Amino acid sequence: MTEKFTILAVDDTPENLDVVKGILSVDYIVKAATSGPMALKIAEKQPPDLILLDIMMPDMDGYEVCRRLKENELTRDVPVIFLTAMDQTTDEAQGFELGAADYMTKPVNPPILKARVATHLALKNSMDQLQSAFNIIQKHKERMQQELNVGRDIQMSMLPVEFPPYPDRKEFSIHALLEPAREVGGDFYDFFFISDDEICLVLGDVSGKGVPAALYMAVTKTMIKTQAADDSSPASIVTRVNEELSADNPACMFVTLFVAIVNVRSGELRFTNAGHNPPYVLRHDGKLDCLDQRHGPIIGAVEGVAFREDQIEIGEQDTLLLFTDGVTEAMDTANKLYSEARLEKLLEKSDNTPDQLTGAVLDAVEEFATGAEQADDITILAFRIEQATEKVRVDELHLVAAANLAEIERINAEFTAFAEERGFTAGIAQKVCIVFDDLLNNVISYGFNDDEEHKIDIDISVTSEQLVITVADDGMPFNPFDRVGPDISLSLEERDIGGLGVLLVTELMDQCSYQRRRDRNVVTLVMNLA
Amino acid sequence: MEISVTESGDVRILSFQGNLDTNTSPQAESEINGLIDAGSQQLLINFEKLDYISSAGLRILLATAKKLKASQGDLKICCLNETVQEVFDISGFATILSVSKTEEDALGAF
Repeated sequence: MTEKFTILAVDDTPENLDVVKGILSVDYIVKAATSGPMALKIAEKQPPDLILLDIMMPDMDGYEVCRRLKENELTRDVPVIFLTAMDQTTDEAQGFELGAADYMTKPVNPPILKARVATHLALKNSMDQLQSAFNIIQKHKERMQQELNVGRDIQMSMLPVEFPPYPDRKEFSIHALLEPAREVGGDFYDFFFISDDEICLVLGDVSGKGVPAALYMAVTKTMIKTQAADDSSPASIVTRVNEELSADNPACMFVTLFVAIVNVRSGELRFTNAGHNPPYVLRHDGKLDCLDQRHGPIIGAVEGVAFREDQIEIGEQDTLLLFTDGVTEAMDTANKLYSEARLEKLLEKSDNTPDQLTGAVLDAVEEFATGAEQADDITILAFRIEQATEKVRVDELHLVAAANLAEIERINAEFTAFAEERGFTAGIAQKVCIVFDDLLNNVISYGFNDDEEHKIDIDISVTSEQLVITVADDGMPFNPFDRVGPDISLSLEERDIGGLGVLLVTELMDQCSYQRRRDRNVVTLVMNLA
Repeated sequence: MEISVTESGDVRILSFQGNLDTNTSPQAESEINGLIDAGSQQLLINFEKLDYISSAGLRILLATAKKLKASQGDLKICCLNETVQEVFDISGFATILSVSKTEEDALGAF
């Protein structure tokens, strides 16, 4: 049920107004004004849907009225139809120029007046609806722009951006940057220490764009950091992250990933590449190595993949450069790619600190692509070993035990001989033997549930300050330090037989830690000698 | 590991030489149970020649102490070296078992 439109008829001759009223008041509400000023007053108070305007009026003529109507925001959009008497010279063009919608001569032909009025009202109605629709589209466009911003904010807020991040660590320097494309592209980088001397470096690229890519990036990044908390094997970390992500991936989002764990004192670098473009190592002598080993597919696609890892050494002034394909696949206006070749040429000439290097690569790519819009995020991370570590004299013993209890005696005898040779006190040798007895007893008795032969690797290394023992077995995943210890305050009757072994291990050694590396349990024990 | 058994009145004294750990605990257990089954209710374990004890050995001591207490018997331990004393402290056994510095002190306390 639509309301009736309102028409304002303006004419200084009252009889004319009556005529118009007679024709139109059946279908419309008709208001009347006998002068320009009166018409303006009525129109401003409550804008009508259409105005029929006489031109020849004393004081203020129709043109002036029209001019004023169009100047006023409230009445600007009301369609105006001029009515003029036949025997007056009037300028049609002027009328239209002033913004009138139509022109009719008096005396009006009733059906024609009705038709013209109906047409113009319908036109106005359509215009109004179009304007409404346009406003809604504008609002949505703003909201979409905000979404792009949200995606951008998610992405950027998760990146470590303070450099240098570890100013007190002189062994290395690191820099990273991410230059986002207009639409969030899902690139990310991360770095964090997982132990005193081991730092984890991560670079990844999520497929897709927008907020979904940004969210997937956030999930992946967090997952990696969580897994790395008790796992120092890149292969193992990547394998577990892939299991989680590919298990529940209805949107089919994938991520290419490069994870490296670097011992900043020894320069040992272990890495896993899951579908990511191969990084470079720029050696101190200018030689450029490409780490082109691949260890598995892109992440998120297939479950049950066991990723592998490789190990290299980087030395003083060697730089590791990680980057995403936003670098190598940047295009210029002729659609040529920046490519690995150009990057290699740039690196071969480079002798820069990590922050200079990342900036130089970004500048080169941006210069190459001048004029073309950046299609993908550009992410670059550079890591350089600065100081040669002091070569500390390390004494080492490696033992292998078969998984049966009788072996414990042999291990202890070998260690005792090793300790005597080096002049350890009796106390130290005894404590280590107790620790071996309890730890190996646990592993051998409970760690394996098949009939296969298993071996346990025991590594002992001695410096002037510390005795470090690692015990690695390929049994079922088990962290012996995960349990709550026995309550030693209980009375004789209340005391329980269990739990003492681990308690002795943790109390006799100065540091104990457990990690799951790939498919092995690794327990690391440290006794301070100083 | 060598175990020698001597007597002092009703007390049976077991002297351990070597280590009390996973591999030697079964031997200790059977030696001790043999004595108890033969009627001994007062046992003194002398650790003077014992190098170290692991949790496997601790378990034997605990089981023996509980058993003897239940039948109104008594278990005492003496002559711990530094390492064994530390193990006893860590595990709380220094508090729940009767431990003496010398054999004389231990025998006097029965």
